Amino acid sequence: MAIEYKKSLAVFTEFVGVEEAENLLQWLLKNPKGKINLATCEHIHAANLQVLMAIKPLVAAWPADEDLQRWLAVLEK
Amino acid sequence: MNALLEQFLSESRDFLQGIGEKLMQLESDPESIPLMTELFRFVHTLKGNSGLFDFPEMTRVLHASEDLMDAVRHGRVSYSQDLTDQLLDAMDFVGILMDEIETTGRIGNSHATNSVELTKSLRELLAAASTESEAHAATPHGISDIDHPSVDQVLEEFAAVEVDFANDTTASFGEPAFELNEVVAMALYRHATGGARVFWVEYIPEPECFFKGEDPFYLSRQVPAVLWHQSLLQKDIPSLAEMDVYSSQLVFQLLTIATQEELDDIFRYVPDQIQRIEIPALAFVVPFGSEHDDTIDDEFITRTVGFINDGNLERASHSIRTMLELSAPELWSSSLLRWAQLIIELEPDNALIQCALINQLRTHEPLDLVALTQDISSKSASVDSHLPNADLPHEHDEHEAINSEASHTDATLMASFYTVLTAQKNVLSVPASPWLAGRMKSVATTLIATYRATHQVDEIEHIEHALQQALADNTSQPLLAWIDKVLDSAPELSDIQEAAPIEMPIEQSTQEVSVATEEVILDPSSKFGRRVEDTSPHFGRRAEDTTTVVSKTLKVDQEKIDRLMNLIGEMVVAKNALPYLANRAETVFGVRDLSREIKAQYAVINRVAEEMQDTIMQVRMMPVSFIFQRFPRMVRDISRKLGKEVELVLEGESTEADKNIIEALSDPLIHIVRNSLDHGLESPEVRVAAGKNATGKLLIRATQESDRVLIEIIDDGRGINPNVIKQKAYEKGLIDESALERLSDEEAVNLVFAAGFSTADVISDLSGRGVGMDVVRSAVERINGTVGIESEVGKGTRLYLSLPLSMAVTNVMIIESNEQIFGVPMDMVVETVRVPRVQLSSIKQKQTTVLRGRIVPLLSLNELLALPQEQVPNEDDEFATLVVRVHGEHVGIVVDDFRETVDIILKPMSGILGGLGGFSGAALLGDGSVLMVLNPRELI
Amino acid sequence: MAKIIFLVDDSATMLMSVKNTLEMAGYKVETAEDGVKAMAKLTAGLKPDLIITDINMPNMGGIELIKKARALPGFRFLPILTLTTESQQSRRDEGKQAGATGWLVKPVGGADLLKVIKQVLPGA
Repeated sequence: MAIEYKKSLAVFTEFVGVEEAENLLQWLLKNPKGKINLATCEHIHAANLQVLMAIKPLVAAWPADEDLQRWLAVLEK
Repeated sequence: MNALLEQFLSESRDFLQGIGEKLMQLESDPESIPLMTELFRFVHTLKGNSGLFDFPEMTRVLHASEDLMDAVRHGRVSYSQDLTDQLLDAMDFVGILMDEIETTGRIGNSHATNSVELTKSLRELLAAASTESEAHAATPHGISDIDHPSVDQVLEEFAAVEVDFANDTTASFGEPAFELNEVVAMALYRHATGGARVFWVEYIPEPECFFKGEDPFYLSRQVPAVLWHQSLLQKDIPSLAEMDVYSSQLVFQLLTIATQEELDDIFRYVPDQIQRIEIPALAFVVPFGSEHDDTIDDEFITRTVGFINDGNLERASHSIRTMLELSAPELWSSSLLRWAQLIIELEPDNALIQCALINQLRTHEPLDLVALTQDISSKSASVDSHLPNADLPHEHDEHEAINSEASHTDATLMASFYTVLTAQKNVLSVPASPWLAGRMKSVATTLIATYRATHQVDEIEHIEHALQQALADNTSQPLLAWIDKVLDSAPELSDIQEAAPIEMPIEQSTQEVSVATEEVILDPSSKFGRRVEDTSPHFGRRAEDTTTVVSKTLKVDQEKIDRLMNLIGEMVVAKNALPYLANRAETVFGVRDLSREIKAQYAVINRVAEEMQDTIMQVRMMPVSFIFQRFPRMVRDISRKLGKEVELVLEGESTEADKNIIEALSDPLIHIVRNSLDHGLESPEVRVAAGKNATGKLLIRATQESDRVLIEIIDDGRGINPNVIKQKAYEKGLIDESALERLSDEEAVNLVFAAGFSTADVISDLSGRGVGMDVVRSAVERINGTVGIESEVGKGTRLYLSLPLSMAVTNVMIIESNEQIFGVPMDMVVETVRVPRVQLSSIKQKQTTVLRGRIVPLLSLNELLALPQEQVPNEDDEFATLVVRVHGEHVGIVVDDFRETVDIILKPMSGILGGLGGFSGAALLGDGSVLMVLNPRELI
Repeated sequence: MAKIIFLVDDSATMLMSVKNTLEMAGYKVETAEDGVKAMAKLTAGLKPDLIITDINMPNMGGIELIKKARALPGFRFLPILTLTTESQQSRRDEGKQAGATGWLVKPVGGADLLKVIKQVLPGA
């Protein structure tokens, strides 16, 4: 449904909505080493996408959804 | 008729009514912006709704009306009476179409011409106005084509585009630039040469797009057939902490072989935010890899180019393959050679490019292959342009189309037929349930009806046989097998549907089919099938999800209200049995306590029943505006026709009465108003000559007086001359000489209501009314109303109707005659007297008596009912006489005895008894017996 | 979980037609007859996933509804579609300016309607 923040890992599930973007940015700024887990993520709203593109956090797990994975390849450093 | 269509018809009638009213109002206030806006909204919504159905005749007219109203609303067309006439005509036409849809379910072909004509004249009004204005003159506009935008729409769109350009500060599209790899590039090239168009799409969402509910990423992901894509940020974000996450900085770029339509469709809401460029196949031909190597010698190049120029592609290809085997695959030259091979394979005729590419091995100069082929492609384009001609329909095809038209109907019918069959099969395929038997019966009924409708009567026997067998075995198998057999022997369904395209109009001859097709709804893919809920739990989530506010008004079918009222009526009657019961408990069984308890209980039930009765009466109440609302239009039309100027004033429109009363009132009122306009109000010249205002005034007013509704129709016309009326009535033998002297002016004027007063010469001679006024009177009396008239010559006339609020409960007196009981409505009973035999006297063989100084004719009820018995007097030799008022006169009806008065629910007689004169209806009494209620007016 | 679509139109016929289509497709549908009633439902706590609104309505039209709804907390990013007719190009743009995501053209056929919804509503 959304993003679940653990100690140094943000877990994205299913459809991550636009409202999440602000928190995601804050969390990534606070946790510069924070990783993201996209395994069960199906889609992230564009606002989240641009946060991720601006910060390029480490991706702990890529989406199982192949199409999303291709789109997010831009996050590889 | 499906629920949506019903809803449409009912709502549309409201709109038509509203449109009529607003047009009337606009006539007196042509500048009113709110009126025009409202009017436009009505027409607009109506048109929008009509588009849900396939009623082109209706939609066409409404569309033109909408455009016209839109132009009026924006001041481009000025308001005129002509315009109102046109629009009213158009709405009348739509009304007619709706009636037809309501009765036959469709619009007959006969209306097509009218529809086109009406549309044309509406468009002409619009066109006339737009040519007046030079700004619009140059723009083409549609006359008959529904989808053709009008001048104003074109201009509006144009203006809108300009605005967009003005705001366009963010998006700046670059040249297509993509970094592919050889595999993707070759795949794209393959597609592009294989007939697909490769589009470069760059999508730069506007920064505030998130606040419009957009998700540009989601949108981008929906582009089909994408072979390459990337997302970028427009610029580096200077400080992450200050990043505005809700201002889009994104850019999406993709290469796709999706069609132009698909792309337009996906980006339909953001067309200004995307750039779409078609990329030619050769643009993808770019060798990859390191360019620094000289392993390829000139000899190979010359030889291969030679092969190509000789047209010996096989050898060229062979030599390239050999060279590739000798080279390391990651080399730039290897990539180039692979391209050369691919081009030879896919564009064998394109020697120019093949050679140019191979020559690159020598020059190492990047080549613009696209530019190189410009000449060629422009030539081939000119060839291409001839091609579409080949696709034009031949005359031959047209003939064929016409021929197939004839068989169209049959095909349509057969398609419907098989649809019904298939649907029935689906019904049977639903897993067995306790209702299997009923389901099979209904399927069989449907099938039989279908076969009867398609005149295949022979088969019916087989269906019945299959049903019997199915019922006996309690399995649907025999029926299913039968349907399958028919379907198998049927031509391919798709063939039929091809012959009978898309919609399936219901033929008149196949009413049963239309009933049967309701079953088709069971197909879950059909749009409006509510019954799907029965079979598929997937859709059964409405009930538990019901939340929040619900509309406070209910539209209920009148039948349901009537049924409720009948039930309450029966309840009242049933309740009335309790006092009898209490009485029996005490007198027959001698249980006094029980009797008391029954009585106490009765009091409670009585109160509830009365409240229920009251409530249902309230539900049935409707405002007189229901009838009043048609008057503005009617008055306008008639007065224009007669060349009179009339101001209509309506008062008390919210006064309410029972639905039946209101409905029964409609015709008499129209009659009266028409008479007023026709004979009451004078022409402007006459009025001015008489020192009156040129515009006549017609006031229709409704007021409530205790339990009655008073409706007055008042005009300031020429009035009625009582002397003329008296004279006419005398000539017609309606009154005698003494009456000529005796009658007051008011009584005289009321003679217009006398039966037989109205004849043709009366209309022409008389300066007042009198046309069919007896009809008005009897219609009003039928609903227990009274009617009267007052008039002053030269000043005007006041006609009034007094009506009961409700006709549901009638207070009747029970009388006895010939050992039977009858009811007589109390409002007709003046008094009850017992007349001693000695006071009877005969005048001209008629029984009379003198009551309070008046001679009252006496009639025997038995005689009136054609019963041979004499009336029975009481022990004192007095005759029970009921004095009733009939047409303003008192008449005594001699009966055997009087009984109590009761409140009853009077039900009009129906069926064979409906034609019986002399009775206004029947009612159930508390003890369960039936009471026939007399109608003295008809009896006498 | 079924997506909630909030349908606002002053025509009962249009409401019925669109509602049927949407419900058949598994959406949960709430309706209102004009902007005022729609705002009342939104402020009373209705949380739709998508609003589809007519433009031309009495009391409060669609454009004003969009502006008002966008100002409510929680509706900033909500997809909103306007219901227009083919002759209302300028109203569509006006709707977009006011914050609509897109528009539907009346009469909305089932397939088209559902396609557009899928386009603007992730996960629908």
